[in-house]
Amino acid sequence: MSKLDKKKRRQGKVGGYTVVLLALSVVGALYTAVASPSSAQDEQPARSQSMAVEEGRDLYLSGCSTCHGLNLEGGSGGPSLIGVGESAVIFQVESGRMPLNAGLQQAPRKKVRYSTEQIDALAAYVQSNGGGPTLPAGSLTDGDLQLGGALFRTNCASCHNFAGSGGALSYGKYAPELEPANARVIYSAMQSGPESMPRYGDNQLTPEEKRSITRYVEYITAAEDPGGAGLGRLGPISEGLVVWLVGITALVALTLWIGARA
Amino acid sequence: MTTSGPGNTGGQQPSPPTDQTSAQAAGSIRDRLRSQPTDEGMPGDNRDSGITEHGFTQTDSRAQLHGEGRDERQFGASHPPEGVEAPVHRELTEAEAKVAERKVAALFVLSFLGVLGFIVTFFAGEEQFGEPGSTIFTPLLGTFMAVALFGIGAGAVLWAKTLMPDEEAVQERHPFGSDPAERASTAEALKEGLAQTSLPRRTLLRNTLLLGAGSLALLPLPFVGFLGRFQNKETKLATTAWADGVRLIRQNGTPVRLGDLQFGAVESVFPDVSHGTLMPDAPTLLIRMRPEELNLPPEQQEWAYQGHVAYSSICTHLGCPVKLYEQQTHNLLCPCHQSTFSASDGGKPLFGPAARPLPQLAITLDAEGYFVATGDYKEPIGPSYWERNS
Repeated sequence: MSKLDKKKRRQGKVGGYTVVLLALSVVGALYTAVASPSSAQDEQPARSQSMAVEEGRDLYLSGCSTCHGLNLEGGSGGPSLIGVGESAVIFQVESGRMPLNAGLQQAPRKKVRYSTEQIDALAAYVQSNGGGPTLPAGSLTDGDLQLGGALFRTNCASCHNFAGSGGALSYGKYAPELEPANARVIYSAMQSGPESMPRYGDNQLTPEEKRSITRYVEYITAAEDPGGAGLGRLGPISEGLVVWLVGITALVALTLWIGARA
Repeated sequence: MTTSGPGNTGGQQPSPPTDQTSAQAAGSIRDRLRSQPTDEGMPGDNRDSGITEHGFTQTDSRAQLHGEGRDERQFGASHPPEGVEAPVHRELTEAEAKVAERKVAALFVLSFLGVLGFIVTFFAGEEQFGEPGSTIFTPLLGTFMAVALFGIGAGAVLWAKTLMPDEEAVQERHPFGSDPAERASTAEALKEGLAQTSLPRRTLLRNTLLLGAGSLALLPLPFVGFLGRFQNKETKLATTAWADGVRLIRQNGTPVRLGDLQFGAVESVFPDVSHGTLMPDAPTLLIRMRPEELNLPPEQQEWAYQGHVAYSSICTHLGCPVKLYEQQTHNLLCPCHQSTFSASDGGKPLFGPAARPLPQLAITLDAEGYFVATGDYKEPIGPSYWERNS
């Protein structure tokens, strides 16, 4: 984590202007959203799809278009967003990865910049341009816990660790730990296959199976460590290290004491 | 600590807490003996100066051991060798002994408390410490058990170090042989027994016994034969269950169709044969990428199907599961030693200790649209072995 923090700090200097610009545009967008039709707040549930698309378009133009292009066509900084679908937006923005601060091996988790409502608006806008995978309605975690565990170990654990602690990939990339991810982020990650992660379409993992995996991830990352310290939940590596350093040291000390003359 | 042979109790003297003994008790006996001048026959020393460098007597005799009570710990006239720092060892005073006793007793009581705590914790149960699966319950049990075991052990060590006499003693070896009379009687008994079996007289019995028992020795011979060259290496190590027309199934047994995998998807697949998902050499990764991203070697061009490629997921370095697929770079990473393979370039190793590419499985579609292998891997999968041809 500390390494990430350091990276973040470094980016903080580099991307300072970007952040200021972003903050300004977000505030501006918020202002227009709040100020112009005051009744929109009251009609929250009845807000029509087209209005969400409109709002999302505004948010997109102010927050995302610098890199992804004015018409989602992509640009020097970012890929085209046509056809990536609502899932990709939810994953990237709701986990704080987008907006990106600086080009790195991989986008790190950051503070989330948009409210859930704004994220849904952005998602609706991107969805309206070329379609793509969408999050299903209803609960995302009402699957079968046991099935989810089996599927997680088959499909996810090789990169994300058996307890969701994440792990290293090649050339500085990494599979993130899953503890900070909420159900929407986990589910949409499987659908959209962000960055290094493979994509799991509904023909490969059915929605039921995805809900099971999401439920399992929520379960395993929230589970307490009944044996005491989890030691990063990295398994034999950290446990073995502790056994060697602490256990062997204690044994050597005891042996010296036994062997010492009275 | 104190050792004494059966015959030498007479001369054994407990070291009295005098200044003389405390000075003499220092250093090992062997050192002291070695430092002594050869003093055979000197009054007061019955030792035959037989202590060798290895520390045991070679020249002592039965007569000596059964003699009039030799005391092996006869260092009455010896002194610590010059230049050897003698660790101070003395008997504890009564007050010190009391303190030591209390310390040991405290450790024993600590052990008792640990047992008590363990039992109380156990029966109080997890519920008392919050939710089931509480993070306190198991560590608490462990701590109490550790205290209980440590108390007993540490107490015993402390007891031995403080309250028990600390002196080194050498017990000399007895001669190995039995005495002649015993030997003679044993030989007599054996001879008599042999005669009673009537073997010397009944030669038929003797010869057939030799035949039967002797041939028993031949029984292990077939096992020795197994130690020869590796049998069936061509089938055991070099082939897998994949064959022409064998479907690719998931772990839950369902076959994979064209279209099941999106671009950038990966699936662990197994051969659709009996126990296919349990075979250690069969796991394979089916990967789909855009056909234009593929850059397969010419001879492997035909092994892909519409952007789908299948590779053995057994690392060619040491056989770990290579299942970390990065869909943007098409790198396949082995978690054990970071061997990296390129899934788009025919499994070519990019980084790490693996030298050979991941074997690629040639796949196509069957009449019903399911993925099938067109044959086995063209080379042995997994790590190298001696008889491997390539």
